[in-house]
Amino acid sequence: MTKPKVASDWMCGCAGCHMSLLDIDERILQVVNLVDLRATPITDLKEPDKDGVTVGILEGGINNTHSEKVAKRMRDRCKILVALGDCAVFGGVPAMRNFVGIEASLQRAYVDAESNDSEAKIPRNPELAEMTRVRAVHEVVPVDIHIPGCPPDADIIFYALAELAEGRIPDIKGDKLHWH
Amino acid sequence: MIKLTIDGKTIEVQEGTTVLEAAEAAGLFVPTLCHHPKLTPYGGCRLCMVDVEGSRTLQPSCTLPAAEGMVVNTHTEKVLNARKFVLTLIFSERNHFCMYCPVADGDCELQNRAYDEHMTHWELQPNWQPFEVDASHPFIILDNNRCILCRRCSRACSELVGNHTLGFEERGANSLLVADYNVPLGESSCISCGVCVQICPTGALIDRQSAYQGKETEVDHHPGVCVECSVGCQRNVLTRDNRLVRIEGEWEDNLFHGLLCDQGRFIPLEDDRPRLLTPLVRKDGNLKAATWDEALKAIADGFKDAKGLAALASTRLPVEDLALFKSIFSDELQAELVTSMEEGYATASLARMADKLGKPFEANLDALKETDLVLSLELDLVDEHQVAGFFVKRQLVQGTKLIVADSKNNRLAENTKTTLSLNAGDESNFLVGLLDAVENETGAPELIDVAKMLKASKKPCIVYGKTFAANADEIALETLLKLAEALNVALIGVKENANSMAAAQLGLEKPFKPNGQKSAYILLGDENPSQKITKTLEEIPFVVVQAAYSSQITGNADVVLPVTMWAEQDGTYLSMDGRLQKATKALNAPEGILTSQEALLKVAEALSIKPDLDWKSSLMARVPTVEFQES
Repeated sequence: MTKPKVASDWMCGCAGCHMSLLDIDERILQVVNLVDLRATPITDLKEPDKDGVTVGILEGGINNTHSEKVAKRMRDRCKILVALGDCAVFGGVPAMRNFVGIEASLQRAYVDAESNDSEAKIPRNPELAEMTRVRAVHEVVPVDIHIPGCPPDADIIFYALAELAEGRIPDIKGDKLHWH
Repeated sequence: MIKLTIDGKTIEVQEGTTVLEAAEAAGLFVPTLCHHPKLTPYGGCRLCMVDVEGSRTLQPSCTLPAAEGMVVNTHTEKVLNARKFVLTLIFSERNHFCMYCPVADGDCELQNRAYDEHMTHWELQPNWQPFEVDASHPFIILDNNRCILCRRCSRACSELVGNHTLGFEERGANSLLVADYNVPLGESSCISCGVCVQICPTGALIDRQSAYQGKETEVDHHPGVCVECSVGCQRNVLTRDNRLVRIEGEWEDNLFHGLLCDQGRFIPLEDDRPRLLTPLVRKDGNLKAATWDEALKAIADGFKDAKGLAALASTRLPVEDLALFKSIFSDELQAELVTSMEEGYATASLARMADKLGKPFEANLDALKETDLVLSLELDLVDEHQVAGFFVKRQLVQGTKLIVADSKNNRLAENTKTTLSLNAGDESNFLVGLLDAVENETGAPELIDVAKMLKASKKPCIVYGKTFAANADEIALETLLKLAEALNVALIGVKENANSMAAAQLGLEKPFKPNGQKSAYILLGDENPSQKITKTLEEIPFVVVQAAYSSQITGNADVVLPVTMWAEQDGTYLSMDGRLQKATKALNAPEGILTSQEALLKVAEALSIKPDLDWKSSLMARVPTVEFQES
């Protein structure tokens, strides 16, 4: 049996979910034995294989046109899409800005912040991705498995990967279910 | 009895039982949010929907009366889907991001219910409409963003407390929890009893003192009686790492079911008086830190030299301490003046009446919970003994009549049109007049009206407090008893501090008027002494004080013994209506500090006294004003 290919990517998150993945410590060797770890932010490959992977994992919510592309690309190239962590599942901490509005958030961060000088201004470069409301991944592309947590525990990530490697759908409930 | 079947189990229940109660009695779990066992069923959140055979739609079990032969299923696919859908809709309405909230991960009923239904995500995302947070209140933060509109808080505010401060304005998703006519909570009619915070299933109402300080699973619980007044509510003191986190009312208590007032719930956590951490002895005019042995020797020497002894104890202390105090100073040392800091003004006249009658004449607080008429005599239950006031206020909407008779401005009177003014010190004339109006229908028209109301009442109560007890002479009390007998009135005597009545039972009720005494022993505990007593003590050359906190009294003393405060000691308390209840130690005292009881025993040893340790027989030696109830 060939090992299932797994790719991951991150969008509007803090990288904490990938750090939690690394927190599985020496079990990372078991993961490498179980799955073929392809493009991830912590490996050299940067894009999921064009010919597809079995499992795609996304960390972070979708906050601009760039992360929309990342999410759609992963969805196109994977069979099973996993939303990993509270930002991917709900929008998470970055979604706080939805209650305030994009312009007000930019103004606060780039102009009004106490650390800014008098010449501070909001960057408006056409090459920058366009900001959107922060969305959960499932608002943009269909998601097969939600693993909430801020971040999800290393044990839960290991459990999910091990189940997926065995061809099973992980059942996230009981002590595996945490929303923050 | 009614027989019904829930999830295949045949259950027999009383008529009037709801399906939810029947399911719970059978040990079945049906999730709820708006429901609370102490409130009237409401049927607002729809989470408790069940499948009733033969019924067209799912039914809310919290409001559905059980009926003969009913067949109910709580776990069909239809039910489970409905639960998830209800939760999805609730999550979609406001800001329910758990990572922003102090009650998440254990203390949030909304999150817990979602976990129960294995919800890994929300099918519908929130609508991102922000609401203002109201942080104007000294103890409570009201955050409508986390509110699920279950209305437990406003129902508790009205149904349990009778304060009617919280309510809702607007409709649907725009509904807002507001205080009064939408004024900041801190400027509203809120009396800070905190039951809304305790009953809120989410983080919409949190208290500043304990938010982020420790979740339910991270704190230690110490159930016991509140020691702030003589009502004696049952409460739970929550601590973490030997620190007070929060105080909650005890839902399971039959009398108070969860109620506390600000004095019992929030104020004790605000205490920032400087603590006494070592014994102090006056040397060459200055108070200096000393060892316990040095302090005890100074006491023994002082009492030898200074003839005449006065002794004074705080009525906030446990019965054990008060009985020991009495045994040492009254029975053994035969001190000339042994009394309490309350000087018996809330109890002495009543206790004398019980002595004279040879039997108790007062009723317990249960009578106040189910009454159709309350006559409040010189007592403002809005300002003091508030929880007893809640019992009265919450019944007014059901037609219970309230008559307030007072010589002063009385806030309880805001709740009634029937008020009588009486002159302080003239209680006997007032009561004689009222009795006359009852018996002969003569006298002032307002008295005749009140007499008619009393006669029409099936379960009348007369409540009176310390002012009445202090002013009432024998005629007043005898008339009151005649009135009670004639109309079958329950008499409820509100005392003062947590152990007022115990002090009265022990005879610690004389006025504190030293008459040439050269030494004094003050058992202060954690009480804040009055200016009057502080001043009186200045006349006495040698003063020993046992206290938890530094104050003017300890500053003027000759020997100071550092003792525990309320949370650091076990002890028994006798409530205003005779309930003997335990207070429980919740915190470890700082090193080198003894309980008042331990300190008294050391003093007794230093004075070569063997005190009587049988506090119970001392307490029972006198006929009480109200019968004892031991829990």
